Amino acid sequence: MRSPRSQLEFACRVGVFALLGWLLGASLIPSTGRRAEAVAGAALESRLARWTRRPLGDALHVNLDATPSAWAVDWLAALQHSGHSVTWTGNPAALAISADAVADPRGGARIEIAAPTNAKVVVRDDASVIDSLRIANLGGSMIVPEVVGRLAATAGGEVAGISPPDSARIRSIVVVGQAGWEGRFIVAALEGRGWPVIARFSVAPNVFVGQSTPPALDTARVAAVIAVDTSLQGLGATIERYVQSGGGLILAGSSSLASTAASLAPGALGARFRPAVLPRDTISLGSTGFYPVASLKPDAIALERRGAGVTIAARRVGAGRVMQIGYDDSWRWRMAGGPGSDAAHAAWWSRLVSSVAYAPSGRRSEVEASSAPLAAMVARIGPARPIPTGADARPPVDRRIYMVLIMILLLTEWASRRLRGLR
Amino acid sequence: MGKRPVSAEFVFATAQYESGDWDSAPLLPANIIDTIARYTEIAVAPTGVIVPLSDDRMLRYPLLYLTGHLPVRFSDAERRNVRLFVERGGMLFVDDHNHDIDGTFHKTATQEITRTVGPLIELPNDHQLYSAFFKFDGPPTTSHELNGWGDNLVHKHLLAVMRGGRIAVLYSSKDYSSEWNYHPDSKRFMSIDNTRFAVNVVVYALSA
Repeated sequence: MRSPRSQLEFACRVGVFALLGWLLGASLIPSTGRRAEAVAGAALESRLARWTRRPLGDALHVNLDATPSAWAVDWLAALQHSGHSVTWTGNPAALAISADAVADPRGGARIEIAAPTNAKVVVRDDASVIDSLRIANLGGSMIVPEVVGRLAATAGGEVAGISPPDSARIRSIVVVGQAGWEGRFIVAALEGRGWPVIARFSVAPNVFVGQSTPPALDTARVAAVIAVDTSLQGLGATIERYVQSGGGLILAGSSSLASTAASLAPGALGARFRPAVLPRDTISLGSTGFYPVASLKPDAIALERRGAGVTIAARRVGAGRVMQIGYDDSWRWRMAGGPGSDAAHAAWWSRLVSSVAYAPSGRRSEVEASSAPLAAMVARIGPARPIPTGADARPPVDRRIYMVLIMILLLTEWASRRLRGLR
Repeated sequence: MGKRPVSAEFVFATAQYESGDWDSAPLLPANIIDTIARYTEIAVAPTGVIVPLSDDRMLRYPLLYLTGHLPVRFSDAERRNVRLFVERGGMLFVDDHNHDIDGTFHKTATQEITRTVGPLIELPNDHQLYSAFFKFDGPPTTSHELNGWGDNLVHKHLLAVMRGGRIAVLYSSKDYSSEWNYHPDSKRFMSIDNTRFAVNVVVYALSA
């Protein structure tokens, strides 16, 4: 009968041999079980090199708070293509940014942001922070006068970036109507903002000032036509062809009463709304008279209302855009308004023209992945999925522990034998 | 054509200023309105208005006619409004009712204009103004220039203050105020209507 001490020594020796045998077997016979490894997003980039050395077929999973950098996504996609199962979970913000050149001689860019509702998005370029906005209804936009370097939008830890847009190619604006203050000051406003303007004002039957012959309406030369009144009739069917081919048209005041405008206008004109201000009151745009746009066509949208009346409406016609403006004496705002009203009048008209003008810019041949990082990641490695069932998600045991255990067992046996006086 | 809104009408406005006899040509507005209606299809209000230069309402009439015989000295309010009027794109048409170059109106009016909006320069006789509607080789001569009451000179040029390539102040020593100051019905006795140049002034103001 062995003493308990010798039983312990025997057990230690058996344990040592068992561990050595297990390690030998594990090194000679590959494991048939599918292993999984999960990592937090913050540690992903440091883990990628190790994941690359893992046996093919292992499930690699990352828990994301924000979309990884583009190169990390590329690496994950490469692991996926090489046979690993790459999955992710988490809730990165679905952030996207796009920027287009504003059709304005002074330049500028219109920045569109898509982000979760109520997210606070900070927009910046290489120079500084431009602005921030609180997202309502999944999107927001802003117009900035200038962009320095790349644009970036940040929401939480998510960053979307995009190259600045090329500037738009500016073409002429044609203004037609009877000689009057409205047309005269529209021309002054647009020229003051740098638009090349071709004016053709009627002063008597078959007598025009400005351009004497009807302008050739062609999107290669004309970005938009502004009709101040029913003189638009003189352009005949060419105006519809022009709009269908992408040209912009602004029907101001009573111009949509012209029969050639009937099929193009977003709506019909109601009875003119009389100015609500007394002569000595400060004049603003909303206090001047206007024709309310009534009976909007189904594809038309109201862009501005005054009281119960629609003052500005718009619709697409073919490839072009048509805007109907009820105001017919915006010049009063420019001349008799408060301080800065002349500049405000010019900026307002320039914005209206920009919104309909045919002004193509150099389009990017492909969308930058960085402009919508989450969408780009989903396109590369798929949507969020949990770790595949059947994969062993337990973390692998460091085999150095086995060596330490063997050493402890051997030392225990050796110490016990020495204390008993044996060698 | 659609119904023409009242707001689109051109209103002939005479400037009233504190220092002089601003109403020295009372028949002129009706005569010019008659001329505009006779030759053009510009919607024109049947009667003119008189607007004090010191009143902000003067900004609602982008073409203002100013005349007189007496010295012109703008008050601070008048000067401020005239300056704003020109900056915003209005056109001031000033005519010397004395038809001379050494009279008090001419001296004081040109000084006041220079002080308020800038120096007057000679307007070239091939300027767009002279072909805006009727064709002229320069400012049409008036019967008052050589009648012995003035300087016995035919003024070969009008003067102007330019803003952004357009006329902001048009200054005349031709005495159109006397030339056009008659009842419109009298035109039927004329072989050539001597108010035709007024059409050019109005058309230029409305289109340039």
